[in-house]
Amino acid sequence: MDKIVENIVFIKSLDLFKDAFPERIDQILKNKEEGKKIVGTLCLYVPDELIYACGVDRVILCGGRSAPIEAAEQYLPRNLCPLIKSSFGSVIDQKCSKTKSCPHFGLVDLIIAEATCDGKKKMYELLNQYIPIHVMDLPQKPENQNALEYYIKELESLKCVLENLTGNKITDAKLRNEIKSANETRKLLHELYELRKRDSPPIRGTEMLKVLQQMHFLSPDGFRKNLVLLLDELKVKKRENSGPRIMISGCPMASGNMKVPEIIENRGGLIVVEESCTGTRAFWDLVDENKELMRALAERYLKIPCACMYPNDRRIDQILRLAGDFNVDGVVYYTLQFCHGYNVEKYRVAEALKKSGIPLLSIESDYSGADTEQIKTRVDAFLEMLE
Amino acid sequence: MISIGIDSGAATTKAVVLCENKITGYAIIPTGFDFRKAGEAAYQEVLSKSGMDETGIGKILATGYGRSSIGFADKTISEITAHARGVCYLIPAAHTIIDIGGQDSKVISMENGKVVDFLMNDRCAAGTGKFLEYTAKALEISLDELGTLAQLSKNPAKISSMCTVFAESEVVSLRAQQVKKEDIAAGLIESIIQRTIVMVKKLGIKPDVAFVGGVAKNPGIVKTLEKVLDIKIKLPEEPQITGALGAALLA
Repeated sequence: MDKIVENIVFIKSLDLFKDAFPERIDQILKNKEEGKKIVGTLCLYVPDELIYACGVDRVILCGGRSAPIEAAEQYLPRNLCPLIKSSFGSVIDQKCSKTKSCPHFGLVDLIIAEATCDGKKKMYELLNQYIPIHVMDLPQKPENQNALEYYIKELESLKCVLENLTGNKITDAKLRNEIKSANETRKLLHELYELRKRDSPPIRGTEMLKVLQQMHFLSPDGFRKNLVLLLDELKVKKRENSGPRIMISGCPMASGNMKVPEIIENRGGLIVVEESCTGTRAFWDLVDENKELMRALAERYLKIPCACMYPNDRRIDQILRLAGDFNVDGVVYYTLQFCHGYNVEKYRVAEALKKSGIPLLSIESDYSGADTEQIKTRVDAFLEMLE
Repeated sequence: MISIGIDSGAATTKAVVLCENKITGYAIIPTGFDFRKAGEAAYQEVLSKSGMDETGIGKILATGYGRSSIGFADKTISEITAHARGVCYLIPAAHTIIDIGGQDSKVISMENGKVVDFLMNDRCAAGTGKFLEYTAKALEISLDELGTLAQLSKNPAKISSMCTVFAESEVVSLRAQQVKKEDIAAGLIESIIQRTIVMVKKLGIKPDVAFVGGVAKNPGIVKTLEKVLDIKIKLPEEPQITGALGAALLA
C-alpha cells in the first residue's frame, strides 16, 4: 500500500532521459565505426573535460543492477560492495557483451579507473585481464601541501595516455572549450537544484535521480540539451509536490539502483537533495576558467568529498550546508553493503547532524529486494517521526 | 468510540479493542503463513473476547510487517510509532523502549509517546526471538525452559557468533566440549542481550526503560538485561500487545 501516486502533471522532457538509451548506444557504435575511441569510467574523479578534449567518447561503467552480480561472484568475494560486483559482472558476463543492450564490453577501448577504495583497486587488477586499464592515482589527503601538485601530475599522465590512445593532441583551445561547456552543464544543474529549494519543488527526487544517472552515460551535449528542455518545462508547469523534505547522503546510486529513493517517495517523503556521486558531488563545484587549465581542473576535482579521503571534513560541512539551504526535515544516510568508507564515516556525519538537530535514518542495503519490507518499516517510522 | 489496532507481526498477530480509551480485550495468535488470514482471525477473536460484534466499530489501524495485508484496516502505521504510543499509555514515564520481536529488535527513544529516534537490527535474525527459538532447539529445550535454565548458571558460556545459524553450530561445539546446559543457555541469552545493548548505547538510555515484544516474556532475559544495564526495567502486563494498543490509540 504505497501512499503516493504519480504526479498528475506530466513532465514530458523527463522521458528524453528515460528513452535516451538505444539512441545513445547507436551513437557510440557509429562513433566506434568511424574510428573514434571509447573509454569507460567509474568515478567522478576522472575529468570528462580531458576525455572529450581528446576527441574520445565516454560511457560510465558503474553497475546499479543486481543481474550481473552472480557472474561477478565467480571472481570476487561475496562480501564486497554490490556496485563493484555489478560493474565487474557486466563487463565479464559474456552474454552481456557486444550486444546493443549492453554498452560495456566490446565497445570500450580503455577503462580509465581511479585509486579510490580498496575494493575497486583490486577489482581493476582482475578487470585488466579483459580490458586495458589506466588507473589514475589520487592523493588521499587532499589538504596536504603536495596533494594538488601530485594530482596535476596524474592528470598530465592521463593526458598522455589519451593522446597515445588516439594520436590526437589535447590543445589548450580544445580543453578550454570542454571546461566551458562542462561548466555550463553544472550551472544548469545548479539552476535546477534552486527550484528544488522551493516549498513545493516541481521535480521529485526519484525523477531527478534518473536524470543524474544519465549524466555520464549520455554525451555531454546530449545531456545538456535535454537539461535545458527539462528546466524550461519545470519553470512553467505548475506542479505540487509535498511531504517531509529528505536529503539522501552517502553512496552513489548507479543506474538501475532505485530501491531506497523509490521507497522513500512512495511512502510519502520528498527527496529535495542528494549529497552523493549521483547528486551534488557530480556538479557542485565549477572549474575556474581564469586559471591555468590543468591546475584549475585539478583544483575542482580534488574538492569532491569522497569518503576515501582523509580527513573528509569537507563532506560534513557540505551536508550541513545543504541541509540548511534545502530546508531538509531529515537525512537518509544511504550506504551500500560493505562500503567501509561511507559506513565508517556515518558516525561523524550522525554526530554533526545530531548537533544541528537534524534527524537521521541510516539504511545499509545491496541490490537485492530481500530487505524491501524492512526498509519500508524504517522509512515509515522515520517519516511518521518527522511529520 | 471504539477503535481496533492490529499488529500483524512476523511470528504473531495481535489485536486490541479500545473503548473510550480503555482496553476491553486483546488477542494474540500465531501468524502462520498468511498475514491477511491471521489478521482476520485476530480481529474476530478480539471482538468475541470483548463481547462485541462489528456494529459500532470506528476506525481500524494496522501495524507490523504484514500491515499492508490487512485489507480491512482504514490506515497503516509503522510499528515503531505504534509501540511508542502504546507504551506511553501503559507506562507514561517511559522514554526508552526495547522491543525484541520474532523477526527484529529495535530500540526507540521517545518523548510523550512521540518517537524522537530509533534503531533497528539489520535484516538478519541475530539478536531476535528467532535466535532464541533456533538455539533453544539446539539444546533440545523449549523457549520457556531456556530462560529458567539460564538462571541456574554460575558460569555462562561465551557465544561469539552473532549469526543465528553459526550460533547453532557453536552450541553443538559447546555440547561436545561437555559445557553444562545451563551455562550454554545463559550464554545464549547474554549474546542476544549484547546485541541489544549495542543499540541501546548508540541511542542513549533515558529512564524509564520499557521492555516489550515476545522476548520480554522471558524472565531470564529480563533479569540479565537489568543486570547488564544496571537499571530497573518496566514491563507492561502483556508486553506483546503494545504495538496493537498503540495502533488502536492512534486509530
